[in-house]
Amino acid sequence: MDECQSAIPAHDGDLHVVAAAHHIVKALGTTKNLSDDLRKILIDLDAHLSLITSNIDSKGGKGFVEVEERLKRVERKIVIWESDRIMIWDSGPKEVSDYLEAVDEVQTLIDSLRGLSMNENQKQKELLHRASSLLQMAMSRLEEELIHMLVKHKQQSEPTYMPSPSSQRNVVYSESVVSLDNESAKEASSKSSRSDECGEYIVDLVPEHVIPDIKSIAKVMFASDYGQEFCEAFIGVRKEALEQHFDILENGKLSIEDVLKMEWCSLSTEMNKWTWSMKIIFRVYLMSEKRLCDQVLGEFGSVNSFCFLEIAKTTILCLLNFGEAIAMGPQEPEKLLRLLDMYETLADLVLDIDALFSEDGGSFVRLEFHKLLEGLADSVKAAFNTFRVAVSSNGSLYPFPGGGVHPLSKYVMNYISMFPDYSSTLNLLLEDQHSDVASLVSEPQCGPTASLSTSCPMACHLRSITSSLESNLHKKSKLYKDEALQHIFLMNNLHYMVQKVKGSELRPFFGDEWIRKHNAKFQQHEMNYERVTWSSVVLLLKDDNPGSSSLSKSAFKEKCKGFSIAFEEVYKNQTSWCIPDPQLREDLRISTSLKVVHAYRTFLGRNPAHVDDKCIKHTVEDVEKLLLDLFEGSPRSLRNSRRMMKT
Amino acid sequence: MTWSKGGTICFFFLNRKAGKESRVSVLRTSLGPSPLNSSQAILSSNTTLFHCKNQLQQKCNAFKRKPSVFLGENQYQEVIMDTQEQELEDIELFQKHVSDRFTELSSPPEDDALLSVSWLHRLLDVFLCCEAEFEAILIMDRDPSQLSKPPFDRLIPEFIERAVKALDICNAVANGVDSVRHCQKLSEIVISALDQNPLGDGHAKRAKKALLMLLSAMNLDDKEGTHVKATERSWSFGRRGVNKEQIAGHFRSLSWQVAKNWSSAKQIQSMIYNLVAPRGAEASGLPSPIYTMNVIMIFVMWALVAAIPCQERNGLPTHFPVPKQLNWAHSLIGLQEKIADEWKKKEKKGMSGLLDELQKMEKLAQSLIDFTDSFHFPGDAEKVKEAAANVSELKEIFGRMDQGLTPLQMHIREVFHRIVRSRTEFLDVLEKGSAPVV
Repeated sequence: MDECQSAIPAHDGDLHVVAAAHHIVKALGTTKNLSDDLRKILIDLDAHLSLITSNIDSKGGKGFVEVEERLKRVERKIVIWESDRIMIWDSGPKEVSDYLEAVDEVQTLIDSLRGLSMNENQKQKELLHRASSLLQMAMSRLEEELIHMLVKHKQQSEPTYMPSPSSQRNVVYSESVVSLDNESAKEASSKSSRSDECGEYIVDLVPEHVIPDIKSIAKVMFASDYGQEFCEAFIGVRKEALEQHFDILENGKLSIEDVLKMEWCSLSTEMNKWTWSMKIIFRVYLMSEKRLCDQVLGEFGSVNSFCFLEIAKTTILCLLNFGEAIAMGPQEPEKLLRLLDMYETLADLVLDIDALFSEDGGSFVRLEFHKLLEGLADSVKAAFNTFRVAVSSNGSLYPFPGGGVHPLSKYVMNYISMFPDYSSTLNLLLEDQHSDVASLVSEPQCGPTASLSTSCPMACHLRSITSSLESNLHKKSKLYKDEALQHIFLMNNLHYMVQKVKGSELRPFFGDEWIRKHNAKFQQHEMNYERVTWSSVVLLLKDDNPGSSSLSKSAFKEKCKGFSIAFEEVYKNQTSWCIPDPQLREDLRISTSLKVVHAYRTFLGRNPAHVDDKCIKHTVEDVEKLLLDLFEGSPRSLRNSRRMMKT
Repeated sequence: MTWSKGGTICFFFLNRKAGKESRVSVLRTSLGPSPLNSSQAILSSNTTLFHCKNQLQQKCNAFKRKPSVFLGENQYQEVIMDTQEQELEDIELFQKHVSDRFTELSSPPEDDALLSVSWLHRLLDVFLCCEAEFEAILIMDRDPSQLSKPPFDRLIPEFIERAVKALDICNAVANGVDSVRHCQKLSEIVISALDQNPLGDGHAKRAKKALLMLLSAMNLDDKEGTHVKATERSWSFGRRGVNKEQIAGHFRSLSWQVAKNWSSAKQIQSMIYNLVAPRGAEASGLPSPIYTMNVIMIFVMWALVAAIPCQERNGLPTHFPVPKQLNWAHSLIGLQEKIADEWKKKEKKGMSGLLDELQKMEKLAQSLIDFTDSFHFPGDAEKVKEAAANVSELKEIFGRMDQGLTPLQMHIREVFHRIVRSRTEFLDVLEKGSAPVV
């Protein structure tokens, strides 16, 4: 019964034990590894202590003296901070460990007091009451320390090295097919950079060295059953931080009504911002936030995913909301590229989203984003279709002046030349709409022998769009009264299409066969032009009776006059016509020249006797020179040019 | 689905009349034989509802044929007459269902108080059922060009516009449910603090802190500008406030998903604007179900906004005119008046939502605050006992919220998606109707 006696020691003895225990605690604080011997001694000590407590229990009130003493000591340690204006964690590691130790001690005391059977012992009740008040004080304090810590360090961790959205493709394709006739389509600048610049940027939302501090608070608070308060504080600060980051990305918080009513230009900007924000929010902030949650709350089970979801929810729903508004809006053709961006971004992120919200509580997030992805896919298809419809139905009332390249051709060709960037997505989404288009475009490329790139769904859709464009251009060409100009118009536009295909990434999708075929088409129009315009003119110079050597003077004069009138008429008309491509213009001039100048020269050469200035209005050289004025798009009258030549 | 506890009630009627089947009854028959109790079938789950909607769509497609192909001129006339008669019958039936459903809603079972979470579930179900039937009447087996003629060329776009406004309300309310869940989380702290024996000062303090946060979360919900953000607060109070008793912990900032000037009250106002009951010949034709559906949609959105904390509810209309002589509207008007009365009472006191659980929670929180304020260990036995009763009541409410709030959010999302889908369908019809005949 030795122990029994020492359980109620004299006051001095008590102090000794306390001093010794303090030593032990202190020593343990600095020791990381317990040697076997030390462990054995401590286990013995533990056994002693439990015996003592059971003695307290059996002996009643008196044994609480020691507990009360311990309580008083920790009380001092905890209360002293209540009047202090400095944060504990700002004061130094010693203060921190002292405080945490004190809190531990309170918890231990509470546990052991609770462990005793509650036999209406007033003293025990009172002690328990004091201890739990002390615990509340400490917990409240820890909560404040936590908030202070999170807030203070949050501001220092702004990631500044993030690529800015301006380096993203920011092309606003503001024109619509509908408003084409008045203005010429701008050349669309190609996407500047398509790679995912942001990749995976996990950043320290809270500096590395602070994490153990946060964790230590979490540990103590959870151990004392104050986990809810911890989460409340943690979520509050982190959620706000995330929302601040979201605000920095300048996403307008828009209602669905706003989005549906928005002008295309601003909508396009918002769509770009969304694409950008999705990447940043998920790849950078949420990934980092998840890591922070794992670091801090990893060992507390489902609390971890709960907190993460609470932190992320509002921001995520904002993004979701905009996506949904876009998916339900009317899908005009000009939206197609932005929609593709949005679709690709989300398709890219969807696995990450699944991983981030893999727990039960996050299932609705996963579900909603998968739904959104489907919605965006449908939107892309719808926009693609309206684009196709717009291409074939774009109508004009008046012929396009000069017969040059029509804005519709420019718009369509420039627009589709961006599609190859999205080829894998478009192939995926257009797959199920493949068969009808393939039958629609009965070109050899779609057959079984075609190469992969020309037979993919996108290639077939592209060719179906250009064939719609062609038939629309044919319709437009009928607006010209002059048949020759119809041919010039078609030649120009077909040539433009071929050039665009050849000079861009479209080429593999159209294939050489298509290019050959369309080369032949515009050359046909070139020939038709020559036939329609010049055959009758050249015919005027033809020898009526090839047997005789030369014409009579009057017949010669007549023919000359006829020729110059016809030539001048052509000149007057066709100088206002336009062939924008210099090479094509040159080619046509050369072949015209060959035909006309050759015929004229032969004609003059056959009648050398009549050749004098009076009867010949234009020399061969004149004609040759004048032909150079054709197709420049600036109307001239011949009198004008003659005067110029004479001076 | 856990939330269906309250009873998702959906009636589908069978209208048999000498070989004729109404559009509404297609709904019914598509579900296969089911025990009919005075021509009512109770479908008690969301999935069934969804299922029936799907089948409805299939039927819709199956019905899209013109009778004239097989019929002679006389027979065709007959069919037209028949169709018109059938349509009137369908409309009547639809309005009867609406009336029945709202009657059911206005006399809730005991444990299903007006504006409680489970009542809201039933309200949303009513909406979904009415909406499905409405779509069936308007779209199924109908020549699209009919709907692009006056007055439908005005009525349907107006309906679609209201639907878009309803979507934004759905989002705001779903977000509001989150703030209710936040309250629920705080009440959990109160419960775990006070559910102690013996109760100490520490417990009381812990509870009080949570209670203050709870009350501020309840009352600062509407105006974003008025609540102090966590960051600002921790700095502005310095290390410690002078009277730290008054620091009700940090407030979780309540962030809305839309622009700050968006107001749910204004949104409701603009939904009500321009809503006129059909008159004259229109009153008996197709315009009448459109009007009915408009009223239902406005009512449901209005009730949600009243019940659940939601961005800027100041100036929420307490009344929108529905002609009393419309017999389907009786119960709806009754409900409207009851809720409006509640709203007026509440408006004077503060702005936490009318949600039954929230109101009860607020009352309990008030009395528990009084208790924790005056509590000193060991405390007055009578008062401690009273507080314990309050805590157990709070526990019960917590349980109800715990069960019902997340499903409620899902349910609101379901309504959202339904409205999106129906809007798309109406837009399709309009587009088809206005397209030139090729």
